[in-house]
Amino acid sequence: MAPSLGAYPSGGKARNARAGVPRLALSIALLAAAIGLPQQGIAQKVRVTNLSDVNFGLISNLQADARRSQNVCLFSNSTGGRYSITATGSGSGSSFALNDGSNSLPYEVEWSDQSGQTGGTSLAPAVSATGRVSAASQQACNSGPATSASLIVVLRASSLTQAREGNYSGSLTLLVAAE
Amino acid sequence: MNKGFRIAVVASLLASMAVAEPALASTQGSFGSTSTGSVTINASVPGRVRISGLSDVTFSNVDPSIPASNAQNVCVWSNTSTRGYTITATGSGSANAFTLSSGALTPVPYTVEWAPSSGQTSGASLTAGSVLSGQTSSATNSDCSAGPSASASLVVSMNSSTLQGMTAGVTYNGTLTLVVAPE
Repeated sequence: MAPSLGAYPSGGKARNARAGVPRLALSIALLAAAIGLPQQGIAQKVRVTNLSDVNFGLISNLQADARRSQNVCLFSNSTGGRYSITATGSGSGSSFALNDGSNSLPYEVEWSDQSGQTGGTSLAPAVSATGRVSAASQQACNSGPATSASLIVVLRASSLTQAREGNYSGSLTLLVAAE
Repeated sequence: MNKGFRIAVVASLLASMAVAEPALASTQGSFGSTSTGSVTINASVPGRVRISGLSDVTFSNVDPSIPASNAQNVCVWSNTSTRGYTITATGSGSANAFTLSSGALTPVPYTVEWAPSSGQTSGASLTAGSVLSGQTSSATNSDCSAGPSASASLVVSMNSSTLQGMTAGVTYNGTLTLVVAPE
């Protein structure tokens, strides 16, 4: 299902560029943009939503990897739904590390272009992962696929078995750009 | 006179911390040329300890006129903020006594000492079934495969009067169990 035309913000640019175009042609142009077809004058835009906090809770088994995955809505109106994603952590130098005030606990981040995945491509901190493709057909996944990507956070046993006792937290920021 | 006994070990896996309430702070991206969202990640690591690097203790053909003692280096790891731990030793004798036995012969006692550093030939005397607290580990790796290769000393001894009371040519056996807990 095509997204609501009204959901596109700042579409004035496209509309202004097409002032005077017959209504049918304009509708076709906007519809094409909505489904991700190349459209001169339509800005490339992306959106990431449906993100949830990641709570590992009390990790009783430190000798096994702890893994949490979630389904995310990632929309891109670029040709083929292409986008890039860059993840940065709140650790030193944007590293993927949690902190308890005194000690750090490293983690890993994986990303998949499909929802429902428990593993994916490893992301390096602050390094853009290009060539990603979204299947979302609406910017907030209100129609079409409910989600289009998977975010996976992993605490390795090798880190857990060396970690000090404590309550660790940190933030992970995802920057998505159209390609 | 052959006397030997084995040491079995159980490391406790006690959780010793409360779990903090996770902060709820995820943010959703807006629709634009780029879009940024974020999540908060929370994890609680409980207090854990591990004891490893233990070896069986064998006193073989000892001279009963001289006290016998065996010291070994052990790895004890603790992840608490102070790297602290407690240790409790129990023997296989009656009421967890530190004794060796050989069939119908009268059990013979031995002593156990513990030091929270490696390379020691003496330490704090352990009482069967009683907790020795206030121990601190220098281990930085759970099995001492990195950092210090050992972090504690276990010393098992038998005095000469005990040895002189034992029957020659007979093997005495027993089990010593060490329980370590986070502190």
